[in-house]
Amino acid sequence: MIPPRFEYAAPKSIGEAVGLLKSSGGEAKVLAGGQSMIPLLKLRLAAPALLVDINRIEGLDYIRESGGFLRVGALTRVATLSRSALLERRYGALHDASLTIADPLVRNLGTVGGNISHGDPSNDLPAVLLAAEGELAATGPSGGRTFRAEDFFVDTFTTALAQDEILTEARIPVPPPRSGGVYLKVEQKVADFATAGVAVQVSLGRESECAKVGIGLTGVGPTALKAKKAEGAMLGKKATDRKAVEEAGELAADASSPASDIRGTAEYKRGLIRMLVARGLDRASQRARRKS
Amino acid sequence: MSVGFVDEEQDPDVRFVRGAGRYVDDIKLEGMQHLYVVRSPYARARVLSVKGGITGDELKATMESVGEDAGGRSTVSFPVLSASYVSYVGQPVAAVLGGDKYEAADKAEEVDVQYEPLKPVMDPERSLESEPIHPGTESNLVAAAELGKDFELKAPVEVDETLRMERIAPNPMETKGMVASYDGSLLTVYASTQSPFSWREGLAGSLGLKEESVRVVQMDTGGGFGSKGGIYPEYVVAAYAAMKTKRPVKWSESRYENLLATNMGRGVRGRMKVYADRKGKLKGLKADLLVDVGAYPLGGGAWTAKWIASQLVGPYAVPKAYATAKAVLTNKVNMGPYRGAGRPEAAFFMERMMDRIADETGVDAAEVRLRNATTRRTISPLGMEAPPSRRFFMEALRAFKYSSRKKKEKVGLSFFMLIPAAYGGESAKLAVKGGRVKVWMGGSSHGQRHDVFAKKLVSEELGVPQDVIDFQHTDTAAISGGVGSWGSRTAILGGGALVEASRSLKAAAKKELGKGYSPARILEGDYEAEAFFKPKDMLNTLGANLATARLTKEGNAVVEEVLSFYDAGKVLNQFMLESQVTGGVAQGVGEVMYERAVYSEDGQLLTASIADAGVIHATEMPKSVVMTAAHRSTLPHGAKGVGESPTIGVPPAATRALEVLLGRRFTTLPIEPEKLWALDVSDGGRTR
Repeated sequence: MIPPRFEYAAPKSIGEAVGLLKSSGGEAKVLAGGQSMIPLLKLRLAAPALLVDINRIEGLDYIRESGGFLRVGALTRVATLSRSALLERRYGALHDASLTIADPLVRNLGTVGGNISHGDPSNDLPAVLLAAEGELAATGPSGGRTFRAEDFFVDTFTTALAQDEILTEARIPVPPPRSGGVYLKVEQKVADFATAGVAVQVSLGRESECAKVGIGLTGVGPTALKAKKAEGAMLGKKATDRKAVEEAGELAADASSPASDIRGTAEYKRGLIRMLVARGLDRASQRARRKS
Repeated sequence: MSVGFVDEEQDPDVRFVRGAGRYVDDIKLEGMQHLYVVRSPYARARVLSVKGGITGDELKATMESVGEDAGGRSTVSFPVLSASYVSYVGQPVAAVLGGDKYEAADKAEEVDVQYEPLKPVMDPERSLESEPIHPGTESNLVAAAELGKDFELKAPVEVDETLRMERIAPNPMETKGMVASYDGSLLTVYASTQSPFSWREGLAGSLGLKEESVRVVQMDTGGGFGSKGGIYPEYVVAAYAAMKTKRPVKWSESRYENLLATNMGRGVRGRMKVYADRKGKLKGLKADLLVDVGAYPLGGGAWTAKWIASQLVGPYAVPKAYATAKAVLTNKVNMGPYRGAGRPEAAFFMERMMDRIADETGVDAAEVRLRNATTRRTISPLGMEAPPSRRFFMEALRAFKYSSRKKKEKVGLSFFMLIPAAYGGESAKLAVKGGRVKVWMGGSSHGQRHDVFAKKLVSEELGVPQDVIDFQHTDTAAISGGVGSWGSRTAILGGGALVEASRSLKAAAKKELGKGYSPARILEGDYEAEAFFKPKDMLNTLGANLATARLTKEGNAVVEEVLSFYDAGKVLNQFMLESQVTGGVAQGVGEVMYERAVYSEDGQLLTASIADAGVIHATEMPKSVVMTAAHRSTLPHGAKGVGESPTIGVPPAATRALEVLLGRRFTTLPIEPEKLWALDVSDGGRTR
C-alpha cells in the first residue's frame, strides 16, 4: 500500500475525535475497520490530510436491546453480528446480511458503522436498515442527533452526516411478535458486491396477512433504496397471494434504477429484484410464522 | 524439517506456505532505490510535453521482440518511454526514483505531462476503417494470412457462426517486478520471469549492451501464465536507472498497474462455417479470424492470427479447409500469450461448431466427433500435423463413462490437440561438487514445481538419491544458453535435456573411473555436463474434457464438475500433474463464466481490480477429476506436454454443458451473467 502522506490520530473518546474532525476543516477522514478506506488510500483515490482512527474509542462495540430498540454500536465488527444468537433469532435480515458481506477477512475487521456511513449503494447493511425502519445516531460538535435510515442515504458515497459528525449507533425497533426478516443477495462470485440484494421485514396480523412490510434494495440505485410502493402493495395481503407478491416485485423493480455494468445489464438486475422480493416476502413470512 | 502434518522434504511447497519463498520484492540491496512509472491516463493522445523524471527524450530506446513473443517484427516500434504519443491507458511516459516506494510514488505525482487526447480505436471490428493509431503508418492492419485453398461446396448441413473469446488478464498471484544492479561493467537483474534468457536478449537489445554484460537471475516466481515470458518497458527503464545512478533499483508493480499494463490474452473473433453430411461427417471448413493486437504488435500479435488459423481443424479430418486471418491494432495494452496462447481459441471455435453439427443433424455430440476423428497421422489442409485421434477419444469416453452420464446429467464434451512449443529446444546443466548435484534448466518453474521432475529424472539417470540434488532457478551466468518456460514445453524439453546431460555426465564418469565406477563414486568427483535438447519428432498430443452444469437455487447456472483426460505421455509426477491441471480447470471455468477485460469507449480499463477481472474463488471451483492416458512419447523420458491442456479443453466443454442445461446457444466467452440466469430476463424473472 502506497498512500499519499497523511497525519494520523488515534483519539480515546468521541469528543476528542469530533474535535479533530472539526479542526481539520473538512480534510479529515474517519478510519474504523478500514475495509473501504484503506483501498481508497492505496489507490490514492482518497487523500485526507488527517486520518482519525476511532478504533481506540471504548463503548462503541455492543449489540443489545433496550428502550424498544435493538442497538448496535458503530464499532461492532460485522463478524460479531454473524455470531449473535439474538440477531439470528429476532433480526434475521441483519444476521443474513452480515454473512453475505465480502469474505470472512473483511467481516472480521469491517464495522457496522463503516458499512453504513460509507454511503456505498452496494453495501449490504443500508437496505436492512431501510426495510426495518431503522435509525442512526451520530455525535457532532454540538451533541448528538438521530436520523431515520430513510433520510440518511443522500447520494452515492454521501450521507446526511456532517463532516465533523461520527456515526455511533444503528437502531432497529424491536419487532412485534410474529415478525420475520430476511436478506437475499445475488452475487456473481462469493465475496463480490451484490449484483442485486433485497432486505424484507414483515410483521404478520391475525390472519397471517402482512400488517407491516419493509423492503430495502441493494446495488440498484445511487443509494440503497426503500421500495415504499412495493411495501404498500403487500399491506393486508398474504405472502401466499401470488398476485400481490408479483405486483410488489414489479413495483420494487420500478423503484430501482440499476446501471448496466460488469455484473449485468439493468434489465437483468431488475429481474433479480422481482425474484428476490417475491422470495424475500415468502421467506420473511415463514420466519414470522416460525416464531411465536 | 517438519511443519505440522506436512513434511518439507516431501513437499517443498511448504517453503512458500511458511513465507520462506524469496521473491523479487523481498530483495533489499545496499543503497537501493525504488522506481515508479508515470503512465498515460489516456488510451490515445499526443504527448505535448513531459517535465520531470526520466523521459523518452532522455531514454530513446525501443522494445525488442523476444521470448514467447519473438517473431513479431513490425514496422511499428514500441518506445520504452513515449515522448510523442501514447497508445493505451497505462503506457509508460516517464519514471522517477525514490528512497522508498512512498517517496517514488509521491515524486511521480510531481511529473507534469501535457496531453492532447485523441479519439481512441477500441473496437477491432472497426480498426481497419479507422485512422491508423500510429502516425506514419498506412493502416491498423498488422498481419494477414491465408491458409488452405478456397472452395465452393454444397452440403446437406451448412452451419455458420461468429464466435468470440474476449480479452482476459493473466493475473498471476505475484505481479511483475525486478531488481537491477550495475557495477560499471555488468548489469545484474533479479527477475520474476518465465525466461531469464529472453530478458537478457531484450534488455541488451534495448539498452545497446552486449549480452555478456547482462546477467539475469530468476527468483521464486509466483505465476506467469505467459505474461512473464517476454519483457516490458518498465524492465528497461529500471535497468537504465540502475546504470545511470550506479545504485541498485527495484521496480515492483501493484495489482492495479499489473492489470493496466500487462499483456492480455485472447481477444479473438472467429467467423466459422462448416459443411457436413447428414451423419455429421465434415466436408469442409471455412474460417475468418480477427485478432485484437492492442497498441503494439510485439506481444505475439503479428503471428497469432496465422497460428490460430493453422490449428483450427484440430484432431479431426476434413477434406477441404480454408482460413483467412487478420491481426489489427486497437488502443489497448498489447495482446500477449495467456495459458494456451492461440490453442484455446482454435479449440473453442472448432468445438463449438462440432456441437452445432450435432444439434443440426441430431447425431450425439460424441458420435459426431468420433466420426471425424482419425485413424492415422494427418496433415490438415491448413498445414497442421496431428496424431491419430479416434482410439484416444474412445478411451476418453470410456474414462468419462460418457454414455451413462449423458443419460443423467447436462453434459458438455470437448476433444482437442495440444501443440507444445517444442520449437527451439531447451537446455539443462548438471554440476557435481562436494557430494551434491546442482541442476539447472534453461527455463524453469514459475509455479509448476519443475524441481520435482528434475530431481526424479536426474536421480534415476545417475543412480544417486534425490536428496543430494539441488534444483536451481535459471541464471544466465550458470548455464550457457536457454529458451524459457511456456507452451507446455518444460517437462518435455527441459526434462529431455536433463536426461541427456545426466547421460553424458555419467558417461564421462564411467570413462574416468573405468571399472571403479559406481553411482556413489560420481558424487565423490567434480563433473559438469550441459545439454541442449531438440526433439526430432512431432510431439503434438491429445486431450478431452467433460463438464457438467447445474442450477443454483437463485436460478444461476454453474459448472458442477470437470473431468479431464489427457495424454501426458509417461507421467513424471502424478500429484504435480493433477495440481497443474486443477489450476488450469479454474482458469478454464473462469474464462467461461467470469474473466474478462472490459474497456470503456474512451479506453479506460473497467476491470482494474483482481475481483472485477473475474478471478474465481474456491467456492466457484467445480469438482475436478484428472485422469491421464500414459502413452509414452518418443522422448528419452517418455513425457508429453500438459500445462495448457485445461485452458484449451475446459472452455468448450463447460460452455456446452451450460448450453445444454439452459437451452440457449452461447457464442461468446465469458458468457454474460444474465444469460446464465435460468429465469428469462425478458420475462422479468416472474417465474419462481
